[in-house]
Amino acid sequence: MNNKMWRLGVPRALFYYYYGPWWEIFFETLGIEVIVSPPTYREIMDLGVSLAVAEACLPVKAYYGHAAWLASRVDALLVPRLVSVERKSYICPKLMGLPDMLRATLKPCPQIIDTTVNLARRPEEGLAAAVQGMARAIGVRGHRVELAKAAAEARYRSWTCERWGDTKGLETGNTDQAGERRYALPVGVIGHGYLLYDRYLGMDIPGKVAALGGQVILPENIDPQEVEKACRQLPKRLYWTLGRKIIGTALYLMEQEKVAGLIHLTAFGCGPDSLVGDLAERYARRRGKPFLLLTLDEHTGEAGLNTRLEAFMDMLYRRRSA
Amino acid sequence: MEAIYLGIDVGSVSTNVVAIGESGQILTTVYLRTRGQPVRAIQEGLEQVVNALGEDIKVAGVGTTGSGRSLAAVMVGADVVKNEITAHAVAASLAVPGVQTVIEIGGQDSKIIILRHGIVTDFAMNTVCAAGTGSFLDQQAARLGIPIEEFGRRALEAKSPVRIAGRCAVFAESDMIHKQQQGHPLEDIIAGLCEALVRNYLNNVGKGKEILPPVVFQGGVAANAGMCRAFNRALGTEVIVPEHYGVMGAYGAALLAREMKPGASAFRGFELIGREFRTGGFECQGCANHCEVVELREGRQLLARWGDRCGKWSNAVAV
Repeated sequence: MNNKMWRLGVPRALFYYYYGPWWEIFFETLGIEVIVSPPTYREIMDLGVSLAVAEACLPVKAYYGHAAWLASRVDALLVPRLVSVERKSYICPKLMGLPDMLRATLKPCPQIIDTTVNLARRPEEGLAAAVQGMARAIGVRGHRVELAKAAAEARYRSWTCERWGDTKGLETGNTDQAGERRYALPVGVIGHGYLLYDRYLGMDIPGKVAALGGQVILPENIDPQEVEKACRQLPKRLYWTLGRKIIGTALYLMEQEKVAGLIHLTAFGCGPDSLVGDLAERYARRRGKPFLLLTLDEHTGEAGLNTRLEAFMDMLYRRRSA
Repeated sequence: MEAIYLGIDVGSVSTNVVAIGESGQILTTVYLRTRGQPVRAIQEGLEQVVNALGEDIKVAGVGTTGSGRSLAAVMVGADVVKNEITAHAVAASLAVPGVQTVIEIGGQDSKIIILRHGIVTDFAMNTVCAAGTGSFLDQQAARLGIPIEEFGRRALEAKSPVRIAGRCAVFAESDMIHKQQQGHPLEDIIAGLCEALVRNYLNNVGKGKEILPPVVFQGGVAANAGMCRAFNRALGTEVIVPEHYGVMGAYGAALLAREMKPGASAFRGFELIGREFRTGGFECQGCANHCEVVELREGRQLLARWGDRCGKWSNAVAV
């Protein structure tokens, strides 16, 4: 296949918010035109809700919408079958089935690149196989693949470092501010990246918290080693990659005295979160850290969410000044 | 001329106005049905305040709360706009000093507020489902053909309350019909409904919360003696219903306005009772989100717009 002609669609949903830059640079370096769907907006969401099975969680429905938006605009869709992205840890089983579910739903369906990514047993071999598999799917082999992988990894590293470094909340909390809010309060906002960074789907909770005077700390702002260390407090190792990241962030932030409270954003229908969220809430209660659980579904009204956020921030300010 | 503070709570079912004096004492309270017309309800509420207190009053501060708080704030000119949780907590801690738990059940929402040493430490609100709220009782009372005011009294006459599924209003209704067909007396069914609602409340809104006495029960549903008894039984402690249980949100908003002590209140005067306000809406075509923008006009003058995600319309109005 002449890959100069190729247009590869990448849905801006789910793991795009974890690996998007890696995928983009990898395929672009190999001479593929990468088209990322636009940030979620109402029509994409409506499209997703109408296509997906009712039992799917909200972010999966959004993914359907993005894939459908791309379907008529590209030659192929990148929907990797993510089984595991690290040793002895797994991705939610609902997400593993995405390529098959999309093939059964999208009519007509473009070619789907569904390379399996499984790093659970032998991470290095698993990664090599995944990279070779993706390259093979577009008809590329050999040295060029290694170069593209190196470029993608470099971009990915700098991107994640930018995100870790952004820990303003922890370092400089309690700066003076004008107005009713006399100072900014560091607040942890935890949850899956595809909710926190998707401003439509996640109702821009981080932005709303900031507007109410919070200094937002996200899971990606924290050194992963600290997150792993905090996870060791759990009696048993969590084998969901994202769940561990969320609970580890929560446990780490609970220990930071400057952090005034935690807000956990979850999606209705998320299996792992139904356990992880409850776990985080129990630890928070035991440690006396204020905790607010916000659950999103397609019927969520913004007014109710705003009321809860306002009340929570009010509570944090009144606690601090008491 | 006496200085007063006004609290306005615009809820889904009722709109309440409370006027308090300098020392926080309640001067008058107004409880009205919103009937989907918040603007009318607010005007009528203010009119009743004037009727009760006379013209010779000076409004030193206004606080608004409830789901219609933004609308009320723009229309009336508010100094404080607060969410319902904070307003209810402030009111409850003044009415019952040392309160540790506030149970609030209104028309379409219910909440629990946990306080320790006068500070809110935890809270929860019902999610999209209204099964554990006043509307549920309203519906069932209507179905049984009993005025809601009599509901509580009838519940107290029950000898052995029947068990009714309270998870969902639809299922509760089929359960109730079934119990009626079996021949259970109405009183037992009514008491059973109260217990079902309490169970639903404690399992959903109250899930995992440390409910310690004193427990204050407020909101419109607190008028229902059957509900009070059901809570007393379920919690093993006597719930306290404050004197002004139905207007605690508005009371809290007034207290917050008093606490803020604005130098000059933003209140736009009682003349607004006679003015003509109109609300309207349109769907913005500026981007693919198609936000539903709402606007409030007084005569021909545009007072405020809201509902847009990007701020294009709401920022365009200088209030």
